[in-house]
Amino acid sequence: MTTTRKLQWAFWSLLAAFLAWDFTVSAPVNLRDEPPLIAAGSGQAVSGGHCSMAK
Amino acid sequence: MKRLPLAALVAAFFIFLLFFVSVRQAVLLLVGVGMGAALAGARFGFTTGWRQLIEQRDPRGVTGQAMLLALASAAALPLLGQFSELNAALGPPSVSLLVGAFVFGLTMQIADGCGSGTLYKAGLGVPLNAAILPLFALGSFLGSVHLDSWLALGQAAPVSLSAEFGTGAALGLTFAGLAIALVGVRLWVGPGRTWLERRWVWGAIALAVLATLNLVLAGQPWGVVYGFGLWAAKVSVALGLFDPAANAFWSQAGNAQRLTQTVLMDVTTITSIGILAGALWISASQSAADTQPLTLQQWAIGLVAGFVMGYSSRLAFGCNVGAMLSGISTGSLHGWIWVPLAFVGTVLGVRIRRRYGF
Repeated sequence: MTTTRKLQWAFWSLLAAFLAWDFTVSAPVNLRDEPPLIAAGSGQAVSGGHCSMAK
Repeated sequence: MKRLPLAALVAAFFIFLLFFVSVRQAVLLLVGVGMGAALAGARFGFTTGWRQLIEQRDPRGVTGQAMLLALASAAALPLLGQFSELNAALGPPSVSLLVGAFVFGLTMQIADGCGSGTLYKAGLGVPLNAAILPLFALGSFLGSVHLDSWLALGQAAPVSLSAEFGTGAALGLTFAGLAIALVGVRLWVGPGRTWLERRWVWGAIALAVLATLNLVLAGQPWGVVYGFGLWAAKVSVALGLFDPAANAFWSQAGNAQRLTQTVLMDVTTITSIGILAGALWISASQSAADTQPLTLQQWAIGLVAGFVMGYSSRLAFGCNVGAMLSGISTGSLHGWIWVPLAFVGTVLGVRIRRRYGF
């Protein structure tokens, strides 16, 4: 296995561990409060985070 | 890893999101996979395109980027005018933006990848970019923590070209701005150059379609940096190192709420994971030859650059994706301020990059 492949495995393992930990410790997802599949035309305001936001 | 098992893993994650998070996030994962495949497959590097323009007077990369901006604007601006639910990427013109864009442009050349570039190259297994990613996240988080202090140095309200002049005029201004930029490129590169290359063209078309899908589905433009900062913020809170209630940015209702939710509910996180997976899928068909090893000094400089790049990306209200692509294509003035400042930084960054033998 090349160093690049080893690094890929290490990187993905770390990312998967982070996501698993995060899903475990975070507040449970409220599936009844699911956003619409398509925001455009849904009538619901969007509240996601974006890097252009100052607040 | 071969493509088939990799596709099975992505499909499993898609199904997990479908049943345990939301249908929208599951579909956005696929949009992200497409972005990663397009970025890596076309080698659509914003950083590389700028560097080739400066060093080799090669306009093909920036032509591809201008094409992407034009196509994305032609889709996004009318959509924003039609659907009130959709948000533009509006950042405030500010001292923070000026400093952040300049430093970002400088450091992205040393780190050899902007926000999306770092992601897709990390997905491809490029050692420096994979190592930079966590430092980029930490820098992005610290930038958000200090953002109010930077904004206190001077800021104006965000300016939307659509709101100021209407959709048609905003689109006309955007096309005119891109045409002027290309005239400047023509003056720099001189006659007899090849302007179009297949991979840049199909990359631009694919990314414009996917960025539009991101906007229509998520209601917000494509972004990268916010998700990175959120990851580091969550780890910092969990370790007891950071109190979000005492911080101007993270105590805001939306940000505070996202700190309590899983990152899988965050739009930028999901598309970024998709980008990583899409790039990995592309790399699966290639032999994993080791890249040329870096010296200790190059590693140190590259990692510091990655951290500073993350920090400056928050001050600049986005990277090449969040500020340049999403800002310009949704009619934000801050995108137009970002580009020249980042380009001046890049001119310096290219020289520093050469000085240290990258």
